[in-house]
Amino acid sequence: MIKLENVTKEYKGSSIALKEASAEIDKGEFVFLVGPSGSGKSTFLRLLNKQEVADSGRVLVNGKDVGGLHPWKVPLLRRQIGCVFQDFKLLPSRTVRENVSFALEVIGKPKHIIQTQVPAICELVGLGDKIDKYPHQLSGGEQQRVSIARAFVNRPVILLADEPTGNLDPQTANGIMWLLDRINRSANTTVVMATHDRGIVDTMRRRVIELSNGSIVRDQSRGVYD
Amino acid sequence: MAVRLDYIVKETANNIVRNPSLSIATVLTVAVSLSLLGAALVIQQGVSGLNTRFKDDVEFIIWINNDASQEQIDSVQRALDDSPVVKNSTFITREQTFAEFEEYFAESPEVLAAVTPEDLPTSFRVVPVNPELSVVEQLGRQFTPLPGVRQVDFAGDYIRRLNQFSSAASITMTVAALASGLASSLLMYNTIRTALFARRREVEVMRLVGATNWFIRVPFMLEGLLQGLVGAAFSTGAVYALNRVVGDAVRGADFRLFDSFALDSGQLWTITGVLLGAGAMIGAVASGVAVTRYLEA
Repeated sequence: MIKLENVTKEYKGSSIALKEASAEIDKGEFVFLVGPSGSGKSTFLRLLNKQEVADSGRVLVNGKDVGGLHPWKVPLLRRQIGCVFQDFKLLPSRTVRENVSFALEVIGKPKHIIQTQVPAICELVGLGDKIDKYPHQLSGGEQQRVSIARAFVNRPVILLADEPTGNLDPQTANGIMWLLDRINRSANTTVVMATHDRGIVDTMRRRVIELSNGSIVRDQSRGVYD
Repeated sequence: MAVRLDYIVKETANNIVRNPSLSIATVLTVAVSLSLLGAALVIQQGVSGLNTRFKDDVEFIIWINNDASQEQIDSVQRALDDSPVVKNSTFITREQTFAEFEEYFAESPEVLAAVTPEDLPTSFRVVPVNPELSVVEQLGRQFTPLPGVRQVDFAGDYIRRLNQFSSAASITMTVAALASGLASSLLMYNTIRTALFARRREVEVMRLVGATNWFIRVPFMLEGLLQGLVGAAFSTGAVYALNRVVGDAVRGADFRLFDSFALDSGQLWTITGVLLGAGAMIGAVASGVAVTRYLEA
């Protein structure tokens, strides 16, 4: 499903972000990316949906070389990859329903599909009764649920999560992890999650890829934080 | 991919409503620059249709000296009659000249009081077979050295002077139109960049969930296009008003020389089309470039 082959990425004027990194992630896997800030976790994720392009090496998603993808095919790649962020990236002037609908509207999904899928996914993430609220009327955990609903409403095969619990208290974070776990198990969605949260990694006991200064220093199934 | 019309209309309307002052500024600069272009086009049309003759197809006038003898006048008359390239010629007596003079100065009795028919020259008004300017001038100059001839006036002289003035005016206007066209393109570019900045979160989400660049671009381009068209509509109004004023002035004048400056509806439609097209293009291209550069950055 996902394959990195000797991938190196360097940002101009700063240290190397990813150095000769190789990894392979199968369909339906749940993988934690751990490591200190600046170790290359976000770059790892951003390479997968071509927000960044590798300087050398190959990034393969679904068997296709992402780096060599023609620009007009990039949107099609991104429709298969949902994204969740630490800061949620919700649109403040839109309700829960509108935020989730937005993701389908802008890829040209017909209205009747939006009208049935959006309430269903909001129900799934536990926000059925808050569907017409605005983001500022929701708690942090609820906002992250909206953002997960938005990322998952188009049924992507891969879900990327960049520190999704970084802004949440442990209790709320556990709720979000439960939801991601459910999405992973029930829909066989591949989940790659960058995190600092030792407690979560140690509890979940899933595969752990540890990065340090851009290099993969550990790749362990059913691993712990360190 | 089906681009949903209601989505585009909604987004475009939102963009315009969100920043009314910038939209108005953009529309106004487009209107000003296209009005200049319109005026240049009006002048150009007027000049190209310029009547190259005096009234009744007369191309030049041979003025006779007051002290010329009857034989001298007769010999000029013969030369005109014998010339195969002269279609016809008319001798204008002092009395006829005085009658025209009276008409011209009807509102200035003090001028009329100072002039008698005897003070005025007689003349031949000549219609050549070939009205081409160079042919006419060559023909006319043949009469200048004849005895009793004071001078030869060409309609072409006035036309040429008028042409020079008009083309200078037209070039000035075109340059001004280009400069302000550039200004309105840049303003349009910045308007759309501001709109993009105001909606940067939306655009970011759109890109992440896999909206195509065209899908992101279209509402912004439509916004630019709409502003360009509204500006162009204003400038079209300005051209019609200008044509109205010029038309009244031309019809009020007692010579037909400038008739071509009062445009007919066909010419006005052409200019309208050019202005609307230019407005739409400034809008769509400037905003398209703005979005493309934003998406590539």
